Amino acid sequence: MLFFSYFKDLVGREVTVELKNDLAIRGTLHSVDQYLNIKLENTRVVDQDKYPHMLSVRNCFIRGSVVRYVQLPPEGVDIELLHDATRREARGG
Amino acid sequence: MVLGLREFTERVGDGAGEPVLDSDNGEELMHVQHSVAIVLGNRLPVSPGTLYISTKQVVWLSDVDKTKGYAVDFLSLSLHAVSRDPEAYPSPCIYTQIETEADEDESEGSDSESSDTLDLSKITEMRLIPSDPSQLDTLFDIFCECAELNPEPIDGEEEEHNWIFSADQMVDEVAEEGDHFSQDPTNSIGHSNGDHDLARTVLELQINDQRFEDADEMDDDHERGHH
Repeated sequence: MLFFSYFKDLVGREVTVELKNDLAIRGTLHSVDQYLNIKLENTRVVDQDKYPHMLSVRNCFIRGSVVRYVQLPPEGVDIELLHDATRREARGG
Repeated sequence: MVLGLREFTERVGDGAGEPVLDSDNGEELMHVQHSVAIVLGNRLPVSPGTLYISTKQVVWLSDVDKTKGYAVDFLSLSLHAVSRDPEAYPSPCIYTQIETEADEDESEGSDSESSDTLDLSKITEMRLIPSDPSQLDTLFDIFCECAELNPEPIDGEEEEHNWIFSADQMVDEVAEEGDHFSQDPTNSIGHSNGDHDLARTVLELQINDQRFEDADEMDDDHERGHH
């Protein structure tokens, strides 16, 4: 549940969600659930030339299993905390 | 499981009614929306039809042609959104992206060949246009609710991914290890290298990690702190 908790801390911030089909959507993180399904608000597509029809949808639900990356706001990243948390994950595995 | 969009023809009664659902496996009808047009890929809208949202899938049935209908499992719906911008699409609609078996090849090419042959397995986009746009937010919420009812099946992948699902246990383990660390620092990673500074750093990090525990537990901690 590490990433679930971590993403919950980022609610209200701007993130960019990159899907496995290369679509990248930027928006305000509205909510995230335990499956890492992500709801964004005030979204816009990063590469608008490639995906003109996604130009602007106000809110958007993204299935957790199709997310490749989530780009975080730099100020939302505490590197020391993440170091420790990932170390723990590695030990547990 | 078959990904993507598929034909759906099984209707109850004389074949003119609601879709036949897999109620034996707990599938329930969550919402019915009349007067909804459907757009597959870059095709023209097909209407009129009725949208049925169940706990497992989205089914659209034509009101005119009783043999015509489409369905897609929530497991195949990568994304859904409310689209109101006329530049994105002329009619306000629910926009969805569908994961297909052959996701590598984009669907765009198939449309140019022949607009009469419809290969459902290559459709990666679907729009649902209710005649009453004020229903869009309700529909969006129902889609969200049902999507959350359909997490990825985890059978067979447990070995590979168990670092995600055992996070709860790990928190406990770490709590124990934390004690262990402070009592006997010679066992820490850093000391095995003879690097005491690194060991201390690890110790310090260990202490300050409550933010990564479950929110519920955090609330508990707050309670205890105040009383």
